[in-house]
Amino acid sequence: MSDRRLPRLLQSPAVILLLIWMIVPLGMTLYFSFIRYVLNNLRRPEWTTPSFSNWRGWGNYDFVLGVKGFWPAAFDLAIPLALIAVAVIAGGAALKAYLDAGPRDLVRRARAHLGLGHVIAYFMLALLPMIGFVFFFGDVSFGTGKFWLAMKNSLFIVGSILFLTVTLGILIAVLINRVFPGRGIVRVMLISPFFVMPAVNAVLWINMILDPVLGLQGLAVAGINGVIDSLQTAPVVGSFFSLWPDLEPISFRATQTSAYAVIIMVTWQWTPFAVLILMTSLQSEDQQQKEAAILDGAGAWNQFRFLTLPHLARPIAIVVMIQAIFHLSLYAEIEIVSRGNGNKNLPYLIGEFANNNIGAASATGIYAVILANIVAIFLLRMIGKTLMD
Amino acid sequence: MGRIQLENVTKSFGETQVIPPLDLSIEDGEFAVFVGPSGCGKSTLLRLIAGLEETTSGRVLIDDEDVTLVSPSKRGLSMVFQTYALYPHMTVRKNIAFPMRMAGLSEAEQNKRIMAAADSLNLTDYLDRKPGQLSGGQRQRVAIGRAIVRDPKAFLFDEPLSNLDAALRVGMRIEITEMHTRMGTTMIYVTHDQVEAMTMADKIVVLQAGVIEQVGSPLDLYRAPRNLFVAGFIGSPKMNFIEGDEAAKRGAQTIGIRPEHIDVVDSGPWTGTVGVAEHLGSDTFFHIHGTGLADILTVRAVGDVQMSHGDTIHLCPREGDIHRFDAAGLRLS
Repeated sequence: MSDRRLPRLLQSPAVILLLIWMIVPLGMTLYFSFIRYVLNNLRRPEWTTPSFSNWRGWGNYDFVLGVKGFWPAAFDLAIPLALIAVAVIAGGAALKAYLDAGPRDLVRRARAHLGLGHVIAYFMLALLPMIGFVFFFGDVSFGTGKFWLAMKNSLFIVGSILFLTVTLGILIAVLINRVFPGRGIVRVMLISPFFVMPAVNAVLWINMILDPVLGLQGLAVAGINGVIDSLQTAPVVGSFFSLWPDLEPISFRATQTSAYAVIIMVTWQWTPFAVLILMTSLQSEDQQQKEAAILDGAGAWNQFRFLTLPHLARPIAIVVMIQAIFHLSLYAEIEIVSRGNGNKNLPYLIGEFANNNIGAASATGIYAVILANIVAIFLLRMIGKTLMD
Repeated sequence: MGRIQLENVTKSFGETQVIPPLDLSIEDGEFAVFVGPSGCGKSTLLRLIAGLEETTSGRVLIDDEDVTLVSPSKRGLSMVFQTYALYPHMTVRKNIAFPMRMAGLSEAEQNKRIMAAADSLNLTDYLDRKPGQLSGGQRQRVAIGRAIVRDPKAFLFDEPLSNLDAALRVGMRIEITEMHTRMGTTMIYVTHDQVEAMTMADKIVVLQAGVIEQVGSPLDLYRAPRNLFVAGFIGSPKMNFIEGDEAAKRGAQTIGIRPEHIDVVDSGPWTGTVGVAEHLGSDTFFHIHGTGLADILTVRAVGDVQMSHGDTIHLCPREGDIHRFDAAGLRLS
């Protein structure tokens, strides 16, 4: 037996186990997505058992997209997929030219100038066609398809949470990265939201804080209205304040606002995660570099802009990657806030289909796998690789 | 211009006073070296001049202008740090350009100065690399380049060579000295290495526990150390100190004699046995035991002298080169 064979043989059980672990569920999902498979149908009891005789072809995929027939579905899907493919291939080729073309001087110089800003800008550029397509043509092109709405909600919720947690995370991390009395307690308190269960987090927020009547929001609005009312009847200033309207509390379970409720509560819960990672990174920042920058005439903002922010680029990329993966699969918050009314994302849609229509749920699952893979290719491969140098 | 004066400067961290009241004047164009053992306050003193630390009391003057309360960037000084403190994500070009960018200089002027600095520091081929791709010596040159382009009144060096290997250190030492001759700008250089101090300085400031022990030219300090500390610190190998009868005979509490001022002779006043012998080729240093004068006496012999462990050796000090110190450790003239 050669030197390489034995280690491979010894590794094989683990590798095979992992393969089975991955391939069997994926294969089952693919299989279910091409057949009619429902949990309960009195008229067609044969559909309740998975079988090749119930073959439906692309039917489940069409059904999920809300279109009829294979060709319309293929055509409608082809447009965004082609745009994404073009973006991925063109961008990948350009980046490859930048990064892999050996030690020639031109390439090295180009590489030296290719900062994180370029990569993020490129990433946004590549995502734009996809996001734009979903947002502007999703409803029009696909009629009543719940799928595009769910995809739109997924991207909107994940994107907003990422933006907010990273921004707040940087601000808070910079703020508490100094010595002040009670720093230990403040840090523990800052981290604590992360230890709350997602479902508990959602129940607390939607009932105790965001509720328009009983929550803090309702109480605050009522309180402010009370003050305004009393000012309106006060002498002298009353005529001025009588022009002020009464405030309306916002109902966060409504279709228009339920996505915001999810964004707020998840941001609250996950900002500590960003703070934790960014704070650790800030502590490893080189103090002599800062002193050099002070002598070079950089003020507080320029030190932040030219030293701290680039220093945080890698941990920010890590936060974005991890959170993107977690938040694409949000479920509990959506269930508790409004049962998917106005904030239904892909996992929730799959869950809804899975109440009865396993075939449709599987087809949506395959779409979700494709979406997650696109995100994974962009985030993990591109940002990850560029930051490795 | 770059005349730097410290008047009654003190520095305390909390209750501990690390620099007791101190006066010092560094003339324009001078190469001053602060030297002392680690923890003697030499870096703190440099940071006080740079403005990175605030003085507890006293005044710092640059060109007769009181800058005690002026922010570091407005003092017109450049500093080179021990760890180079380059900005890791910027190319060499951007690193060097950074102070000019902060000062709002025009792009053309920036490029002109970058090219001039890169030229004089042999960095032209590395302008588009990042610090991580450079060797220690190149990084140090970039740090110097970043300091030069600001056209400062004075350069401050905080142990800039201690992260380099021995050969490179000698090379950079010469480069910095040449740079000083060429530019004629005031330089203040902090080091714990007395060889660096001796070879580079116009003026050496020997510090111990925040107190200036002596200020003078390298040879002044070598020839006439003011006290035992300076005598022991300047010169390599260290001066031999002898107490007791030999010292009393010359009317001192302690006498000091450098290894190079003791001759190996066939018969002389001092006798001992050879311990360790360090053969450097040009010189040989013997550690002599059992002389009855001090635990170990270090002696330099010119050239390669064949003596081995346990041999008896006869020594003769040069009377004119013996330094005499009183009970308080001060020099007796």
